[in-house]
Amino acid sequence: MSQFWRRHRHWLAPTLFILPGALLFGIVIILASVQTIWVSFFDWDGVGPMQWVGLANYEQLAADPQFYTSLKNNVIWLVMFMLAPPLGLALALLLNQAIAGMKFLKSLFFVPLVLASVTVGVVFTWVYDPTFGLLSLIYGWFGATAPALLSDEHLVSFAVVIAALWPQIAFCLVLFLAGLNNLNEDLIGAGRVDGARGFAMLLHVVLPQLREVSFIALAVTVIGALRSFDMVAVMTSGGPFGSSTVLAYQMYEQSIFSYRFGYGAAIATVLFAIMAVFIAWYLRTLLRPEQETA
Amino acid sequence: MEKEKDSLVGTEFATTRRRFMISTGAVLAGSMLARPAIAQAKELTIISNIGNADQRAVLQRLADEYAKASGVAVTINNMDHEAHKTAIRSYLVVGAPDVCFWFSGNRMKAFVKRGLFDDMSDLYEREGYKKVLGASTGALTVDDRQYGLPLGGLLWGMFYRKDVFEQKGWTAPATIEDLLALGEQAKSAGMVPVSMGTKEMWPAAGWFDHMNLRISGLEKHLALMDGKLAYTDASLKPVFDKWQELIRTDLFTPNHTSSGWEQAAAALAQKKAAMMDLGGFIKYGFPPEDVDKIAYAPFPVIDKAMPRYEDFSLNSVHIPKNGKNKENARDFLAYFYKPENLAAFLETESAVPPRNDCPPSKDPLINAAVESMKTVVGTAQYYDRDTDPDMAQEGLKGFQEFMVKPERRDQILERLEGTRKRIFKD
Repeated sequence: MSQFWRRHRHWLAPTLFILPGALLFGIVIILASVQTIWVSFFDWDGVGPMQWVGLANYEQLAADPQFYTSLKNNVIWLVMFMLAPPLGLALALLLNQAIAGMKFLKSLFFVPLVLASVTVGVVFTWVYDPTFGLLSLIYGWFGATAPALLSDEHLVSFAVVIAALWPQIAFCLVLFLAGLNNLNEDLIGAGRVDGARGFAMLLHVVLPQLREVSFIALAVTVIGALRSFDMVAVMTSGGPFGSSTVLAYQMYEQSIFSYRFGYGAAIATVLFAIMAVFIAWYLRTLLRPEQETA
Repeated sequence: MEKEKDSLVGTEFATTRRRFMISTGAVLAGSMLARPAIAQAKELTIISNIGNADQRAVLQRLADEYAKASGVAVTINNMDHEAHKTAIRSYLVVGAPDVCFWFSGNRMKAFVKRGLFDDMSDLYEREGYKKVLGASTGALTVDDRQYGLPLGGLLWGMFYRKDVFEQKGWTAPATIEDLLALGEQAKSAGMVPVSMGTKEMWPAAGWFDHMNLRISGLEKHLALMDGKLAYTDASLKPVFDKWQELIRTDLFTPNHTSSGWEQAAAALAQKKAAMMDLGGFIKYGFPPEDVDKIAYAPFPVIDKAMPRYEDFSLNSVHIPKNGKNKENARDFLAYFYKPENLAAFLETESAVPPRNDCPPSKDPLINAAVESMKTVVGTAQYYDRDTDPDMAQEGLKGFQEFMVKPERRDQILERLEGTRKRIFKD
């Protein structure tokens, strides 16, 4: 036995360690994804028999105006979410100074991270409420009437994204604060000796050291924007009349409320394809520096 | 959904899919329902979707009483009302309870067709339910067999505050002209004429139902619900014309897509609105001390020649086919369904008892509904209960959009017609 182990441990040990994770990942992620793609070729209500329809779900999707609304909203999410990393960085730089009371201030900025996103959604729904919301109070002080943001088909997506940005900025802030704590003092000292100050210091000495962190912040933000669902569900249920729906929510709505699992799976597959493009780019960029150092 | 029934290929995939769900579900079910095997013969599991705490308490009391008398261990699993609507489809297949709550009519039929609800005709026979239930048996009947017991009926109509109407000298509008006149008075009193919250979308569809029942009548309305009438049909034009007129005179709450029905009901309670179109459960929007101020009036008459048709939605209770203790389930339901027990259960939601031998209620809202039902000639249930769920989803969205942008009417109806054709395949 020990003979066997000694001869084979170079591959047995890592295999055994990886196995539980691989198994879980295989069932929960890979198998589920493959099955979703498979289901997207069927007409299925989730309970009864499945009927093969080929690409019919995708053809319907291409003709569905709701699909393009969802796609457009996903783009709005993606573009507006890009604000999170720079804003998080700006706040991190602001909070990373040794001033009395800064610890307390920092903790205030962490608050949205502690809240469940459903809570954030509900709170922002109240803020936006046209009759008693904070926003209508503020408008009221100036004698104006607040727009009903969540009732306006053109503004509703932006209003939801702003609510979602709040915790997202806090998340980027935490990442950057951690990154700032790990700065190489020697490099900063050397920069100072060479006369770098203020913006030049930030651009040429600090930011290059934050490259990894920025990359993670960006990746997390993009994925967060694409899989956005909870905020939409809590704040608007995709409404008014579908104008704030995103792909993930449309998939849920079609599968659960309309009993169209095949169609929902087709939407999921499209979303998967969009994410796959991004993930491919991410992996490529992530693996490249490792290959350089290897 | 019938369209998939005769595909052999489809059935094959369904079984593998079901087996997959069973194996994954078994792990979940096993961990939740694990209990000593000895007790198995004397068990009963109920899944309830009841959101109202008082009603849950009544169910718990009845279950305890039954458990004590019969020696059966009763477990009630409470679920969120909305989450239950999706959960039921998997638990009926895997890990079914012995008793579950649902909705009669088309929503029940969907499960009956797939063989997921048990035939309860024997219980009807044994307890002689047909005699005491009368017409409401129909909503639980498929091909002459009964698949559930009707619970409380919700009669939809206009609700208002008696004290406000008295103080202003208003009377409940009997016709649509009265409603428009009342609307003007309400507006000049600084109130919203009709409180409306369409965040959950269905209140808009309810308004459509009621107008369509008043203008086109029950037969045409049900034809539309069954997908036999086009959404672009000329008979719907007067409905949308009238509705558009109401919207244009600012009869409804502005920005109604921002608020849910509970907020809209609260506006009525706070005297910010004059009336609201809802069922007896409107009382949950009122503080307890104001509940006795609520009064009911039928939806106003539009076409005087049209007999009175109303939305009367009937909840129900069922025995899943895959449940384990079907005899216990029948015994429990027989106990639960005794007139005094059923009445206690329904009293909490101001619903009309389906049995004609229930003791008279002390709730004025129930009595008003019972009284009012006497002049009702025929009933539908409610838009999203009467039509296919897929159609309902698009319809709800369309009616909400119409209430905000009535000028998009043709576009919306074209879209609904496209959906109808896809679903009902004609």
